This record gives sequence, structure tokens and C-alpha cells, in this order.
Amino acid sequence: MTDDKDVLRDVWFGRIPTCFTLYQDEITEREAEPYYLLLPRVSYLTLVTDKVKKHFQKVMRQEDISEIWFEYEGTPLKWHYPIGLLFDLLASSSALPWNITVHFKSFPEKDLLHCPSKDAVEAHFMSCVKEADALKHKSQVINEMQKKDHKQLWMGLQNDRFDQFWAINRKLMEYPAEENGFRYIPFRIYQTTTERPFIQKLFRPVAADGQLHTLGDLLREVCPSALAPEDNPTPKRQGLDVQACAQKV
Amino acid sequence: MDSSDGYMCKMHFQIKNETVVSRAGTSAHEQTCLPMEEALELPLDDFEVTESTATNEVIKYEYHVLYSCSYQVPVLYFRASFLDGRPLALKDIWEGVHECYKTRLLQGPWDTISQQEHPILGQPFFVLHPCKTNEFMTPVLKNSRKINRNVNYITSWLSLVGPVVGLHLPLSYAGAASQDE
Repeated sequence: MTDDKDVLRDVWFGRIPTCFTLYQDEITEREAEPYYLLLPRVSYLTLVTDKVKKHFQKVMRQEDISEIWFEYEGTPLKWHYPIGLLFDLLASSSALPWNITVHFKSFPEKDLLHCPSKDAVEAHFMSCVKEADALKHKSQVINEMQKKDHKQLWMGLQNDRFDQFWAINRKLMEYPAEENGFRYIPFRIYQTTTERPFIQKLFRPVAADGQLHTLGDLLREVCPSALAPEDNPTPKRQGLDVQACAQKV
Repeated sequence: MDSSDGYMCKMHFQIKNETVVSRAGTSAHEQTCLPMEEALELPLDDFEVTESTATNEVIKYEYHVLYSCSYQVPVLYFRASFLDGRPLALKDIWEGVHECYKTRLLQGPWDTISQQEHPILGQPFFVLHPCKTNEFMTPVLKNSRKINRNVNYITSWLSLVGPVVGLHLPLSYAGAASQDE
């Protein structure tokens, strides 16, 4: 893992310059200025936008405010997707800053999950970590950890503490010396062109002949259209073009 | 491993605070045990609400059974709305959980029932978490082998988890399962 430390840091500290603008039909007592913020790629919208919320609520009346939600060019933004994923999926070809519209009414029930509190974000994040460990280690590593370790993982993310986070996460990224890798690789492939939200399948890190699988192997097996020469879209992982990283999954 | 996936779906109407309203018609598909690997999208039943009083609200429940390849167990997804389309909130769902499961729910509500994105439809659904499924299904399977009786895993699982979220299976399900022996 040590030679990957630079990549880990690049992913963790990735930021997206964003401009938040209040939806024009929201009722305000005076004009709302846009709010600029650098968003962490690895975090979640509802976790990092307290200041955005406060900024716009200052010019609104309490009765005109209900649950906040975000939208980009008409598409409601799923807060439960990592910010970097949302950007790469929807806005990577547009000029920076990323322009997001802020809403305080007409919550789109059919499109978005509710986020009643930070507990909802924590529950979602931990649920993803647990599912990943079910694939990697049959849940053995995550279940052997104490509650305080789970808490440290969450707090590391919430407070943007790379070392605090990785002190625990490194245990989730290890595998026994006799194995060649995890049991299955946890992955999800998102595309805007398909109806289903993502592709997720069981995929082993090692082929039958003992060769390590590459990202190319994975894509060829589960999403061959992504490699079609005619379209040739470049797969992205948190904004980093993956050709360079394709040697080893 | 290429498994075309789908889900089993069931609609159900209930008057709030009262027991199940009778349904007109049952799809033949619901009574057979279907391998989860088949792509299936069952036709929704036509349900008739036979009784409703002005002071009670009718709630429409939609249940989907999907298979989680991460946990290798079936997972129950569901959503609920009033007839005018207003969806129920997570708080309403938690409050609606049967009394005998309330204690367990309150110990860790976020670990038990939460709102999640349906992996095929991409829409918000409530989910009964699968983490503990193996814990309670193992004794059922062990016991069935002991008494040398075929057990339809899905029927047994659904009869165990369904009532937690208000889904009650009619006895005809058990009858249909044993017909396959």
C-alpha cells in the first residue's frame, strides 16, 4: 500500500470548485448572493454544505424553508453519491466552477432520498463500507472491529482527517499473505446512458490461471460498451484518468 | 458470472391502524418459487379495497424482493404512499413497525430499516437490512433438513421478515411451496 500513498492522498484531497446559486423561484427577503466553496470529492453534499445552507437561509423566512436539495442543469443531485462521482458523471466536460442550484422547497420525492440528519449520511457511508467488506473479507474485518473504530472511520471522513481515516481503513484494505487479493473486488460502474443506476457484480481479483485482473479485464467483462472504440469514453475514477492506473486493480 | 436480474413485486393495500383489507385476485406467479437468477418482472395485481371509512387513510404498499450478491441473501425493498400519491416518511415507517419488533428497531433504527436507492429502478425505497438474515435463516434451514422437509427459502424468509414491515403472507404461499415437492 505504501507506494500507492500518493494516489491515496490525491484522491482524498481532490477538490471541486463549486458555485451555489439559490433557485430563482425561492422566496427571499433580499437578493441572495452566490456562495463559492471547494467541495471534497470523497465526501457527500449534505455533509459539507452547512455553510451554504446558512448563507441562503439568512435571506429567507423560516416558513419558506424546508429540506434543502441540490440540482445541476435540472437534474436533482443524489446526496448519497460521493461528490466527485456526481461531478465526473454530470459536469466533467463543463467549465469550472461547477454551478449547482440550491432548493428549499418541492423536494423531489421520487428522485432523492431524504437526509434528515448527519446520522443518515453516517448510516449510508457505514453501510457502503460494510457491504464492501462483505465482498472483500466476508465481513470478517469490519465485524471484528470495535464500535470506536467504525466511529473513527466516520469521523475521519467527516472532519477531513486523512491519517485518522486511513489508520482504520488500511485494515480493510489488507488481505492474508497466502491470498493474492480480496475475495471479490467491490466496485460500481456509473453511466449516464443507462436506466439502471449502476453496474455491480461479483468479480474476483485473480483469474483462473492465476493472473491478476486489470481494470481493463473488469470493464471487458461487465461493461464492454465502455471500451467500444467508436465512442471510447475514458473511464474515470475520482477524476483521475484510469489508463495510468490500469496495471493492477 | 452473468445473471440477468430482476425482482419480485407485490402490491398491498392497508387501512392505517387496522388489519389487512381483502384483495381481489392473486397472480399465479406469486405462488410459484422462482429462481432468483431469472429475469422476472411480475404483473401487478388488481386490488380492490373493499372497506374504507372516511376517517381512515388507505396506504398502498409495494414490496420488491431482490437478491444481494454482496450478502448472498434476498433483500426486501418496499415503499408506501397514500392513495393521492403522498409518500410515507421513514419516521412513519418506523412508527408503523409491529410492536413486537419495536424494541429491536429502536436499538438501531438506521441498521434495520432505512431509505435507499433501488438498485434497478434507481428510485427511493425503504429497505430491511440484510445483515442479520443469515443469523435467523440458518436455524430454519437446519431444522427443515432434520425433519426431511423441503423448504422454499424465499417463502420461509419472507414469512419471517415480512411481518416486521407489515407484509403478511397468506397460507396459500405455504401450500403452493409444498406442491413443488
